[in-house]
Order: sequence, then structure tokens, then C-alpha cells
Amino acid sequence: MPRSDLLSLAPRAPRRLWTAPLQHREAIGSAYHVLTFATPEPIAALPGQFAMIRSATWGSDPLLPRPMSLLTAGERPSILIKVVGRGTRRMANASSGEVFELLAPLGRPWTDFDAERAPVAAGARRAILVAGGVGVAPLLFLARELAARDPSRKPLALYGSRSIADLPLDAELASAAELRIATEDGSRGTRGRVTVILEEALREHAAEGRPVKVYTCGPEAMMAAVATLCESLDVPCEVSLETPMACGYGVCLGCPVPRSSSGFLYACTEGPCIDAAAIDWKGSPR
Amino acid sequence: MSAATPADLRVTLGELTLKNPVLTASGTFGYGLEYDDFFDTAELGGICTKGLSLLPRAGNPPDRICETASGMLNAIGLANVGVEAFCTDKLPTLRKRGVTVVANIFATTVEDFAALAVRVSAEPGVAALELNVSCPNVDKGGLLFGCDPAAAARVTAAVRAVTTLPIWVKMSPEAGDLKGVGLACQEAGADALTAINTIRGLSIDVRTKSARLANRTGGLSGPALKPLALRMVWELARAVRIPIIGIGGIATAEDAIEFLLAGATAVQVGTASFADPTASKRVLDGLAAYCAAEGIAARDLIGTLRA
Repeated sequence: MPRSDLLSLAPRAPRRLWTAPLQHREAIGSAYHVLTFATPEPIAALPGQFAMIRSATWGSDPLLPRPMSLLTAGERPSILIKVVGRGTRRMANASSGEVFELLAPLGRPWTDFDAERAPVAAGARRAILVAGGVGVAPLLFLARELAARDPSRKPLALYGSRSIADLPLDAELASAAELRIATEDGSRGTRGRVTVILEEALREHAAEGRPVKVYTCGPEAMMAAVATLCESLDVPCEVSLETPMACGYGVCLGCPVPRSSSGFLYACTEGPCIDAAAIDWKGSPR
Repeated sequence: MSAATPADLRVTLGELTLKNPVLTASGTFGYGLEYDDFFDTAELGGICTKGLSLLPRAGNPPDRICETASGMLNAIGLANVGVEAFCTDKLPTLRKRGVTVVANIFATTVEDFAALAVRVSAEPGVAALELNVSCPNVDKGGLLFGCDPAAAARVTAAVRAVTTLPIWVKMSPEAGDLKGVGLACQEAGADALTAINTIRGLSIDVRTKSARLANRTGGLSGPALKPLALRMVWELARAVRIPIIGIGGIATAEDAIEFLLAGATAVQVGTASFADPTASKRVLDGLAAYCAAEGIAARDLIGTLRA
């Protein structure tokens, strides 16, 4: 749906398969890495959009590209990875100059930046970003863009993890947003899950009469808990979905997510960023 | 260096002549309308649609796909918009663009296969029907038809009775008697055989001790399937008179040429389109360059595997 309220929004850019050498890989702790690529032209991606990424050196194994939220776009697009399997292990060992293939930009951005959809909860609201692990990537991109749009309104970022070792890019997030942390083992910030500090923040803002909007990305159980809490308090919430997918552009049909109204939506073309109310969180098996 | 004369890439499947032998495989290319950013799909020999059923289907619950060594498993469950929505929402655009459309149809009964054929045949702009009698990921129908010569022949004959469109029947590698199924389809009026569909596989996550797919088993596709597909195309081509459309792990022009040498008249690019939406175009360009360099027509390659 075209938007007449925000004509200044950039349209989604055409998708292309880019060949790009890895410019730089930065290890963060033992499990996380930021990979920065040197694309021949800037990638005009919007915050929340993603890329399908594989190394040209992989041949036919691993076969499929990996869906990765973009951490930055433009001339030096980057991603944050966590080593979880064969593909990410290979990425974590890649050296500068290794040639990668990036299919980008893909999917729908956060609705505030999408010229083709109505935003979830329009109007001036404080942005509360709820991140878990590598889910921080599209939220950091969002925080930076929100700050660029209106430097006077700093988002609140709530970052949760099992322990202090699983908070990649926390310093970067702190420079773009007011940061609060929760760890399950109490090694940093509040002890407990991120929903504990989210509930606290929602009550604070409600008490001050400040309308808010929640944006979340992280493990599915976390996003389900955040979405459920927001729904119970009547707070608008937008999520960035993560599922396995083979193509990223709507043809493999490998990324269904149960839709609240019945049936499935596809994370690659209807998401990854989407109103949390569109998802049936209980129907989700993961 | 002078430019080589462009090669003649036309191939003939029964009464149908394609501008070149490179098609895209059903289930890996959507409805052919997802490629505007990438290339003009009218350049291809044709596209095979996502399998169409009489009514829309939501498909299987997740997870539907997982990667395996040089391949992947899928259990999509034939999610599709339904034949009516295809004919009214998708086909007119494809027709306008001059895309050669092969409508892949799927049903659980012989009668429904015929009803689908009637519906699709009522529309202009469809080049052929491909009968999916070999889907491994649905409870009934599918594979049952494709594994039994008599059942495959019944489906083919029922469709033959209601349409003048060319009929391609998609073979299952799980048929114990593949040549028997192919011959039965030929006698029942099939114009060509597409070989092969996926073969059922299983992948297990040892941490959770569960199958990686919600459906547990899924169809194996990708380069891992290629030697099996090539052998089956080679055997089928020597057993039947009608042309074979080869499919199974084709990602490069060299892969496609192997299938032509083994006896295929045309090929379908499948899983390779996922990682590279332009894979079919790359295969086509590579084949054109090969034929031009050799000074041959594409049809000169068909079935010329040396003894």
C-alpha cells in the first residue's frame, strides 16, 4: 500500500546478486563476527532488510546462501553472525579478499521506513528496541536511522542474553540509544530475562504518559514473550522474523510463519519486519 | 577474432518447439513473476509453474526445508494459490510478456487431474501441461500415481481425453519400474517425460533427536541428485520414443550438456535458482556459447553419449 503521509521515504531498491570481496572480519568474543563487504556499488538497503549471503568458495557445499539481517548498508554493507553451523563456521574463518555473493536488498524493512506499507502505530512514539543476541543487528541499524531522522529522540534499547559473553555490539548500541541490559545469569545488568526490564520500561513510560512502540528481534521464544507482553498491555510491537530459507525472494516457500488469521505468511516477502499481531505465536513450533 | 554465428538452440518436443532447451523447474521458480529485478524470463525455453491444485493449499507447517551435503530436503506440501488465481492473476502477465508457460498440475484423484487440465486448457498462452504424479510430500495422490505404471497411465489418459495441450509427465525416482511407468505414460498419450522429481530423504538433528523437517521426510534436490538423475534420463531415453526433459542438480551449462548427451531433449534448472535467481539464464548463455564455439545446434547434442 503506497503511503501518502511520508512521501520522503525512499522506495525499496531493486534486488541484485552482488559479487563482493570480504573487506574486513572482526571477531567479537568467541562466537560472534562482523563481516564487512566491499560491493561495487552502494546497496540501497533500508533498516530491517536482509541479504542472502554465501561465499563463492563454497562450490556446491554448503549449497545455500544464509539469510542475514544487514547491520549497515551503502558502500560497505556489513552483517553480524553467530557461529551456529556449517555456513557460519565457514564465514567465521573467512579472510579479507574472499569473494562472497550477496543477494540484496531483500524483504520488507521496519514499517517506519517502508514506502509501500502503513507503519505499525503511526505518530510520535518513543522507540523501545528489544534485542537478543544477533538480533541486535537490524535493531542497531534501526537505532542509527532513527537517530539520524530525529537526533532529539533517543530510542531506548533493551538488550538481553544468557550471559555477558552474548552481548555483541553493546557499545555501538549504547552510542545510538539509551541502553539497559538483562542477563539470565546476572553477569551484567539486571538478572533475568529481557521481558523483566521491558515490563519495567513499559510501566515507566505509561506512568509518564509517553506513548511507545516496541521493535524486537532475537530468539523466537524471546520475540514471542515480547509480543505477548506488548499485546497484553496494548502496546504496538513490530518484529523482525528469523527462519530458515533457501531463496530469500519468495519462490522456495521454505520460510512459512503461522499467521494469526490462519494459514502462513512468508518471512522473506511479507517480512522480515512485520506487525507482531500478524503472527500466531502459539502456532509457532520453534 | 570474429564473433561466432549464434547457435540454433531450438528443440522440438512432439508438436511443441521451444526456442531453446533451458526451462526452470516447478517449485523453484514461483509463478515466473518474481524475477523482474533479475532478467527477462521470456528468454528461457520455458518456465514450469509451482504445482497448481484445484483449490489453494497452505502447505506443510515449518520447518519445511533443510540443507544437506550438496543438496537440500524440502517438504513444502504443494503450497500454491490454486488454479483459478493462477489463471486470473498470474497467467495474463506471463502471456503479455511472451513467457513460454508450462502449467504444472497436481491432484489426489484422476478426476481432479482432468478437471485441472480442463481449466488450464481454457486459457490461451499455456504451452504444455506437466503432470506432477511424483510429489513425495503429500499424504495421498502424488507418489502413488507415479510409482505404478497402470495408475500413471490412468492419470495420463484422463488428461489426454480432455486437452489438446502437450502433456509432460513428471517421473518419480522412487518408481521401482521407471521404464515401465514411462512406457505406460507414452502409450496413454504423454508427449514427453520429465525426469526426475526429488527422492525422499531424512535429516536428523542429534541435539534434539528429531527430524529436521516437520514432515520428517522431504524431497532431496540439488547437485547431490545429479548422478542419479542422469542415469535415469539415460535409461528412460533408450526405453521410450517420446522426448525426455532432464532435471536433477543442474546448476551450470556443463550440467545441462551432460543431460542432453544422456538423451534429454530439454532440461530444467531447479534448486540452483534459489542461490542465484539468474542460474537458468547462466545455463542458457553457457549452452549458447558452447554450441556456437562447437559450430553445432543444441539438438545435435541430444543422445550423443559415446558408447
